[in-house]
Amino acid sequence: MSYPRRRSWPTSRSAGPAANFDLFGASSATSESAMPALAPVNVASIPGASPENATPVASLTETAKAVIEGALPPMWVRGEVSDFKRHRNGHWYFCLRDASAQVRCVVWSRNQRGIPASPDDGMEVVAFGQLTVYPARGEMHLTVTSLDARGDGLWRKALEETRVRLDRDGLLAAARKRALPPSPRCVGMVTSPDGAALRDVIAVVRRRAPHVTIVVSGAAVQGATAPREICDAIARLVRWGGADVIIVGRGGGAREDLWAFNDEGVARAIAACPVPVISAVGHEIDVTIADLVADHRAPTPSAAAEAAVPVRDELLASIDAERAALVAMMQDRIGDARQMLADCAGDLRRAASLDTERRRARVATVAGTLHALSPLATLARGYAVARDRASGATLSNVADFAADRDFTLTLRDGDVVARPVAG
Amino acid sequence: MSDVQRDASYESRLSRLESIVAELEGDGIPLDRALALFEEGIELLRSASDELTQAEGRVALLIERAEGLFDTRDVDE
Repeated sequence: MSYPRRRSWPTSRSAGPAANFDLFGASSATSESAMPALAPVNVASIPGASPENATPVASLTETAKAVIEGALPPMWVRGEVSDFKRHRNGHWYFCLRDASAQVRCVVWSRNQRGIPASPDDGMEVVAFGQLTVYPARGEMHLTVTSLDARGDGLWRKALEETRVRLDRDGLLAAARKRALPPSPRCVGMVTSPDGAALRDVIAVVRRRAPHVTIVVSGAAVQGATAPREICDAIARLVRWGGADVIIVGRGGGAREDLWAFNDEGVARAIAACPVPVISAVGHEIDVTIADLVADHRAPTPSAAAEAAVPVRDELLASIDAERAALVAMMQDRIGDARQMLADCAGDLRRAASLDTERRRARVATVAGTLHALSPLATLARGYAVARDRASGATLSNVADFAADRDFTLTLRDGDVVARPVAG
Repeated sequence: MSDVQRDASYESRLSRLESIVAELEGDGIPLDRALALFEEGIELLRSASDELTQAEGRVALLIERAEGLFDTRDVDE
């Protein structure tokens, strides 16, 4: 909605108020009197000039309407709002007054589009409108087409109302903010295709990250259709599905030019977008509703582009660093494995030598036992064993001996040949 | 058809790399597994690096022809 501050005053009324008069009500009367200065004027025949020629009420109020509209062009009027009423049919009615006077005002619903919010009682406003008369009631009122509170009150009010509704639905919660992708391949841009914002974004992305693609989803960013177009452009990018991050914005402008970014529908479209959104409305002072809902707020389109894409050289450096870290990690891992292998070899050696030791001890034990059991040990204690000389068989019984038959007697330190004596 | 190449694997490559590093940092993975992860990681880094240095970003206007059908027309910069 363009603001009618610069609206030129109508020229059609430049002929002056009198030109629009229809004081005589009937056209037959005017056609005659319109003949300039020919017929003598009969005062008694002028409507309302005599009881006989009394003017109907309807003529009076219609004439008053014409006089007032002809005399006064649409203008800004300053005053305080009182008795504000929103009628069932959507029209607004209120009084504009100051210390000594008041005038009734009406804002037809069709004229409310460009007004950010309805005024509150007591609010100091400036209203742009045409003073007129409602003939059926004979009442004068100002037909207001534009309205603003002094000190931006209405804009603030509208903003606040939208903010409260979005907050109630949880759309402003900090927890909803998503992280931007660290390294997007494709940036979606919702803006005017021939606006300065797009040029700025392209310049920044080209400089920082020439590998990144920018896909523009065009939308008017000001004017009555802007909110709808911005919503559609976001939805288009989402359906396409190729963008890793979306910038929604425009370059700087007057506050009313930025108003689409305070639209509740636009805010909800941003909130519902499955891809992280950066708002980039070129303004320094105000925060738009889009800023509040977006995952990231940038003060300008250039700043949005900087937030969206990392510097390529930094990315490459981080890739190098990651490669170095990976290599170091693998070297550690291989070092560990080598150490583990060495440890295993040591263990194996130790285990093997332990085993030999055990065998050796066992052999000694067995040898000791064997030794204890050996008959030689018995001989060592002073016993002797007798054996047949020929067969070597042990002679253990008296009957084994025969007289005069030699046998061998084995002692601790050698053999002795002996012979039993017959007896 | 779209002339803007969509590479959805780029981010997933980076996250794959993170999980490789995490697994390599863990204890008790067999050496052959570690080597396989290492090779995969190096390959991921190489392709990521190639993509950054070789890919040429475009500026294109998104046009929806019909439900589900899109054109991207290059914009003069």
